[in-house]
Amino acid sequence: MQAQCNWAQLEMLRPLCFQSPATFSTFSKHFQKGSDSSFFRTNRRINKYPSFMAAISTVSTQKGPVSTQDGTSQVPHQPLQVAKRLEKFKTTIFTQMSSLAIKHGAINLGQGFPNFDGPDFVKEAAIQAIKDGKNQYARGYGVPDFNNAIAARFKKDTGLVIDPEKEVTVTSGCTEAIAASVLGLINPGDEVILFAPFYDSYEATLSMAGAKIKCLTLRPPDFAVPIDELKSTISKNTRAILINTPHNPTGKMFTHEELNTIASLCVENDVLVFTDEVYDKLAFEMDHISMASLPGMYERTVTMNSLGKTFSLTGWKIGWAIAPPHLTWGVRQAHSFLTFATSTPMQWAATVALRAPDSYYVELRRDYLAKKAILVEGLKDVGFKVFPSSGTYFVVVDHTPFGLENDIVFCEYLIKEVGVVAIPTSVFYLNPEDGKNLVRFTFCKDEGTLRSAVERMKQKLRKK
Amino acid sequence: MEEKLSSVSKKFAPSPIQELSHLAQRCNAINLAEGFPDFPAPPYIKEAAVSAINSDFNQYRHVQGICDHLALIMKRMHGLNINPLTDIAICCGQTEAFAAAIFSIINRGDEVVLFDPCYETYEGCITMAGGIPVYVGLDPPKWTLDPDKLMRSFTTRTKAIVLNSPHNPTGKVFSKGELEVIAEGCRRWDCLVITDEVYEYITFDDQKHVSIASLPGMQERTIITSSLSKTFSITGWRIGWAVAPASAASAIRNIHVKITDSAPAPFQEAALTALRSPSEYFEALRREYQLKRDFTVKLLTLVGFGIQFKPQGAFFLFAELPTNCLLSDVEYVKELIKQAGVVIVPGRGFFHRESYLDQPSEESCSYQTRYVRIAFCKSNATLAAAALKFGELLNATGCPKLHY
Repeated sequence: MQAQCNWAQLEMLRPLCFQSPATFSTFSKHFQKGSDSSFFRTNRRINKYPSFMAAISTVSTQKGPVSTQDGTSQVPHQPLQVAKRLEKFKTTIFTQMSSLAIKHGAINLGQGFPNFDGPDFVKEAAIQAIKDGKNQYARGYGVPDFNNAIAARFKKDTGLVIDPEKEVTVTSGCTEAIAASVLGLINPGDEVILFAPFYDSYEATLSMAGAKIKCLTLRPPDFAVPIDELKSTISKNTRAILINTPHNPTGKMFTHEELNTIASLCVENDVLVFTDEVYDKLAFEMDHISMASLPGMYERTVTMNSLGKTFSLTGWKIGWAIAPPHLTWGVRQAHSFLTFATSTPMQWAATVALRAPDSYYVELRRDYLAKKAILVEGLKDVGFKVFPSSGTYFVVVDHTPFGLENDIVFCEYLIKEVGVVAIPTSVFYLNPEDGKNLVRFTFCKDEGTLRSAVERMKQKLRKK
Repeated sequence: MEEKLSSVSKKFAPSPIQELSHLAQRCNAINLAEGFPDFPAPPYIKEAAVSAINSDFNQYRHVQGICDHLALIMKRMHGLNINPLTDIAICCGQTEAFAAAIFSIINRGDEVVLFDPCYETYEGCITMAGGIPVYVGLDPPKWTLDPDKLMRSFTTRTKAIVLNSPHNPTGKVFSKGELEVIAEGCRRWDCLVITDEVYEYITFDDQKHVSIASLPGMQERTIITSSLSKTFSITGWRIGWAVAPASAASAIRNIHVKITDSAPAPFQEAALTALRSPSEYFEALRREYQLKRDFTVKLLTLVGFGIQFKPQGAFFLFAELPTNCLLSDVEYVKELIKQAGVVIVPGRGFFHRESYLDQPSEESCSYQTRYVRIAFCKSNATLAAAALKFGELLNATGCPKLHY
């Protein structure tokens, strides 16, 4: 029997092979042909089974246990064995809670999308685009006019002038921008720093990319960046740091001082920054600051955003990544294999949306502030310990006054006995223990719904 | 910063295709290169999308009705029993369904067998997931599958085969016999199949698209991917799906949620209308594309091409350059833009000779720089205009005068 695959050899040749999605355009492979072919010749000699084995073997005895990268044995599989990387991927907490909510007729302040709709002028633009026949593939990295609008908005927000052709990539929502940035720019084994609690797709895509995650926890009451921990964690081995500001789930907004400190550490250690800024227009207690606008930072930052939260159209899946050309290249590579192109009519509508006058944003903030007041006052009255939330449409509270053992048990109780949905935050931490006292509520619901939820909690939620 | 870029990326040079696109744009050429229609989408489907937007179907959603319809269709078309609650994942186009499928089953070092010539995107996705693409060349001129070549490509590392049928770029529809060969290989080597069936409703003459999942023992090891795009001429809406046994479908769904979270909501609604289209719609689709195919074949024959393989499906003609034409595919395409104002695609980008198992010589694969791909998913007006342009290439005696 032939020797099993020599992993050391595969690892040695891995970087070149893994980089072959570096094919910029579809048909140019000249620069990598040499290296790939020698890799394949080597691989063939190691792995080839004598043909008679193929003839006599039956299905399941064909393959013996295979040594995998981390040394564990991989048992011969039933027809469909899913990849090892998926061990962490389960149905999301949101879906689970939503199902439970429907079953119990609970008011859903868990899932982060509005129960009201987007503005008419944007919806009409989409309808017009469909009628005008804009229904075929858009240019992979974005409809030109839309890229222009994104650049113009970015200039308005940050003062930075960017090239829409070379520095903007349109994606199916910010979720895909994150996936494309991570898969396009992170190599297996790269160290990436994450702040917990974090939006669940960060950890998932980082493990898809084979990254080594280093997690720093933001702690109540103010969820400040643990600077000393950061300084001891970041090093020349760090490839990237992921920042979400305004922050989901805590509502924290990274301060100028925090961003400056992170920036100088990144410059010192040559670290990339990926920022998720989807809630930037829902900044209430302070101004939103884009990392890319700090000195020396644009050249190493991927700034990501989307239409969904700002325009209450979360189901349209229009997002984007802004980055200097050499980083945009990696993002576009991955994007072209993940979804290839983004919904065309919605891009045309998004172009109109991004040109909305200042009054739209003023009204948006005003409406959300009113909603926030209803929820926050209500939660305080009910007896939660409410942490200050500077931005997003989320607020995080400590549920322990009600005497339940952890966040998941509390949320289940809240649905079944009180009829309100919140999200247990433990799922947003690498170590679930860190989140067991906290749950997240959202106020992206109409005022009536918010008041009803507060009423239910006042009536049925009792401190222990 | 520069040192952090991969060594491969630093060697990047502008591609011939991009240069051709720029040339085509400058010359205002007729585009028979891009694989998407230049005619409108069906009005009733557009209406459905408009209605969905107006009815506020604009937040994250999963439209279960799509799964229900797909299950019915798969039963009717292929005799497959699909559980709509567990076996289907709705994604942003077939592209994302394929990417999620790959990420769901491919571990680093797993091999994936592909048939050459091959749509370019599969490889990038496989490699991104840490997989190793292994190509099996289909034999010209009719792109037949050599069973020995296929069997020799399997190793203990082979995890899956990618099967695109009807096929881009050749227009081949894999025969039942060929599907059986592939199925046998899969059963013997305990491999999976990931199919790309986006052209499933575009087949010609008496060809019927057969899904390999309908062969004995195959449903449990097949992930089917497809989409609305080509069937309903809405390539820009990004509604696709993966159909697989529950454990894989669940994995694909979970990955999809991490990549994009949800397919565009209003178009999911419109998908319900599309999937309920009457059989007349699909018959007309075949008929019209067949007419376009015949027109395009005739067109090329007139300018000296000897078409040895008429497309059996999809909407591409993959034609070998006339024997007396000494130009390469890229050179021909360039000349065609300059002299006739029509742009098509050089075939070389679809071939991956270096990744063939048996390391064939360059001469034995010399045909790989002699093919061009012409898309006929274009309006009759576009095709007629192209015909006129091609006509200008004929001299007084009716012989092609494209300067070689």
